[in-house]
Amino acid sequence: MTKRETSLGALVAFVVIVVAPLLNALPPEESFFHLSNFSLNLYGKFLTFGVLAISVDLLWGYTGLLSLGQSLFFALGGYAFGMHLMLLIGKLGQYHSDLPDFMVFLGYPKLPPHWVPFKHFWFALGAVALVPGLLALVFGFLAFRSRIKGVYFSILTQALTYGACLLFYRNDFTFGGNNGLTDYKFLLGHDLRSAATQRALYISSALLLLGVYLFSRWLTTTKFGKVQRAIRDSENRVLFSGYAAANFKLFVFVVCAMIAGLGGALYVPQVGIINPSEMEPVKSLEAVVWVAVGGRGTLVGPIIGAVIVNAFKNYANRAFPDYWLMLEGLLFIFSVLFMPKGIVGLPAQIRAALSRPKREEEPAKPAAPAPAPVEAEAESV
Amino acid sequence: MLKKILLCLLLAIAPGFVRAATDAEARSLLAQAIGAASDDDQIKLTAQLPAAPTLKKGLIAWREGGVYLYDSGAAKIAYILDDATDADGKSKAFRIDTGELLKDPAGKPVLFVSSDLNAVDTSARLRRVIQTALDMLALADPDPQARRSAVMKLGMSQKKAYLALLEARRPLEKDVDVRNALDEAAALINLNDPATQAAAIRQLGDLHSIGSYKLLSTIAENPGSPNVKGARAALKQIDTYISWSNFYGTLFRGLSLGSILLIVALGLAITFGLMGVINMAHGEFIAVGAYATYVVQNVFGAGLALSPFGFSINLPGLNLSGARYDSYFLVSLPVAFLCAALVGLLLERAVIQFLYRRPLESLLATWGVSLVLQQSFRLVFGAANVQVNSPGWLSGNMTFHDVIFGYNRLFVIGFAVVIVIGTWLVLTKTPLGLLIRAVMQKRDMAACIGVRTERVNMMTFALGSGLAGLAGAFLSQIDNTGPSMGQHYIVDCFMTVVVGGVGNIVGAICSALGIGMIDETLQPFIGPVMGKITVLAMIILFLQWRPAGLFVTKSRSLEG
Repeated sequence: MTKRETSLGALVAFVVIVVAPLLNALPPEESFFHLSNFSLNLYGKFLTFGVLAISVDLLWGYTGLLSLGQSLFFALGGYAFGMHLMLLIGKLGQYHSDLPDFMVFLGYPKLPPHWVPFKHFWFALGAVALVPGLLALVFGFLAFRSRIKGVYFSILTQALTYGACLLFYRNDFTFGGNNGLTDYKFLLGHDLRSAATQRALYISSALLLLGVYLFSRWLTTTKFGKVQRAIRDSENRVLFSGYAAANFKLFVFVVCAMIAGLGGALYVPQVGIINPSEMEPVKSLEAVVWVAVGGRGTLVGPIIGAVIVNAFKNYANRAFPDYWLMLEGLLFIFSVLFMPKGIVGLPAQIRAALSRPKREEEPAKPAAPAPAPVEAEAESV
Repeated sequence: MLKKILLCLLLAIAPGFVRAATDAEARSLLAQAIGAASDDDQIKLTAQLPAAPTLKKGLIAWREGGVYLYDSGAAKIAYILDDATDADGKSKAFRIDTGELLKDPAGKPVLFVSSDLNAVDTSARLRRVIQTALDMLALADPDPQARRSAVMKLGMSQKKAYLALLEARRPLEKDVDVRNALDEAAALINLNDPATQAAAIRQLGDLHSIGSYKLLSTIAENPGSPNVKGARAALKQIDTYISWSNFYGTLFRGLSLGSILLIVALGLAITFGLMGVINMAHGEFIAVGAYATYVVQNVFGAGLALSPFGFSINLPGLNLSGARYDSYFLVSLPVAFLCAALVGLLLERAVIQFLYRRPLESLLATWGVSLVLQQSFRLVFGAANVQVNSPGWLSGNMTFHDVIFGYNRLFVIGFAVVIVIGTWLVLTKTPLGLLIRAVMQKRDMAACIGVRTERVNMMTFALGSGLAGLAGAFLSQIDNTGPSMGQHYIVDCFMTVVVGGVGNIVGAICSALGIGMIDETLQPFIGPVMGKITVLAMIILFLQWRPAGLFVTKSRSLEG
């Protein structure tokens, strides 16, 4: 990364973390410079999506593991934090009971034991990262041990997500079933609906994103990161060189699950609800779209992708709701076929196209790392 | 006692009556019975009535005090009143003896207010005889199902009086099920009599009478009864029977669920298994088939008006009905296949041909395609589910030894067998199949000897997609046809193929039947949702044991 890019990045981070909240807090509402609470809240949501996108990219872009389970980890983090928020409502719910509303409604005599420790903020915060991490550890251990890779890994993670989603839709699973957890009132003693709290949540999201970004940057430049990319490009060579590829993959998988969980935890108080629809397999695929559009194999790409696609979705859902899904699909096909390096890779792609203007188009060789093993797989007898 | 013997005699000759006596004769006999002078005569005549279904209404009315007499001067005419009343509260009257409207001598219909009339009196004894006649009527019902339930009703009442009736009916009954029911009912009645109890218990056990389970358990739990042992043995017999019939029921349902899985996954076994293309739009190809069925159905019916993207299309309907309309389903099968194959062909040319070496990207691009298709369905056919009517011969079921066989479930099993055999024939016995196998095994070598691999890819993908369309045509009969119907099947499809072993059609068959069987076995215990979750968990664990699925394609390739 050049010096210029570093200073540009720092500038963007400064604008997002410091300037945007100030614009929300200081100028009067009618001022041109005022950033409405609604917009800030929306941007905060996008930033948590950026965290999710980085977790997808660390797996897919850097390790070659396309996980379709990241929405599950994101939602698990969200549920863990949502449970804490539910318990903070106290007697202010519809039924004026100590129990969360849905428990009264479903006739629970008392708080289920696994809910009790979530009364403590720090426990909830730990669970936000540890619950997804633990699930990833168990699932990843089983999957990588039996050397499930490539598309099989994707399909299995999708099945995991699907199964968990079905489970969370059940009322007797003690997490609110269909309606999920909602109607939060307080967080750490502050009114959740006040502008100041929402601003603080926004700043936390931005800081989390910055932290995750810096961590990922550090991780990918270490020796570990090199092995990671080597696994992506040719896992067999890594194996034959004496590395336990499964352990490396397991580590990245667990770390990414925790990152997704943290993102989900900040997402929930900002949108005010978490329900099983957040962990549907489709949501995972959506996160993959952001990464593909932004540019995988880079760390800025996923963030750009998450923000741009979601901003566009936000606009399109209001402007032409009937066609949004279709546009999303087409955008996806287009970016897979014609922008293998995403928006981030676009300038280089254009430069390359301009530098050899008259030549016949070369056979579509993906500029993106084509996983070599797959060739062998397709040709295996 | 004399009455009972008389009754038996009469019952024995009753079938002669049923055939000989026309409805008109039966009616006039009933009218005579009602008009008879004394109670004894009434009873005698009523006991002689033939078991003609037309008498049911009159007999019920007579027993419940709804029969009146009209004095026409010459004779007294028995009649019943219509249920419907006019504005003045008057209702029409129907003659018992002819079933026609009651008219006065001038030929005008007579109207009555029911509260003004005095019904014909019946004694308690007479009412009992009328009831017997009614029960006999029910036993002679032309529908075996109705006969059976009438028999069981008599049996469950455990009244000794019915025994003669049942025994008289026994030799006349041709239907095996009803005959068994007659035995069962008789045994149930005998159960009440200490003298015949032991034999009855034995008989009930031999007949595997599920209906008598409760009664037998009371005997078995009563320590004072001399037949505790026998009752226990009979209960055990019945228990065994129930568990066997449950077992066969589960087996059958598992087989049909497996067949459904197989039908939906077979296309994927070709596109994913043979070609290595991850087609996330496979579910939408299923929906294409289902919508094609919907369109064909409407063309056979009243026509269809669609307005996709602002254009309006009016498909004229053939306005068929009955069996011809029902045959739409047979027409829709090839149509669904061709539609889905065509969409598959377009997809292969437009997107997938660029992604053969990048399976992860093909997963993403085809997911984009699935979004586009889903939204297209919404825009063309509306966001709500569309109504697809099953042809008559697909609904209904039959019961065999207390196992219910739904016709649609039977059909799906046959359908799966036909499709599998058809696919197998195409792959092994046709030139196209030969090329497909050659290209899938060694693409470069096939290209070297002059096979146009591009074209084979195209055809293979179209074949797989067409099979998905066929699955959709069938699923439209048993499931909702809607824009997102494909999403329900996509995870199951991939699971089936992965468990079976990629690139192996036999594996897909085994895994589809296995998954279907396990799912159906688990469902009664833990419910459908938990059953599905358990199956998913089992699949993940299964892949620990056999990472490459049930049937591994042997290969010396490093990644094979």
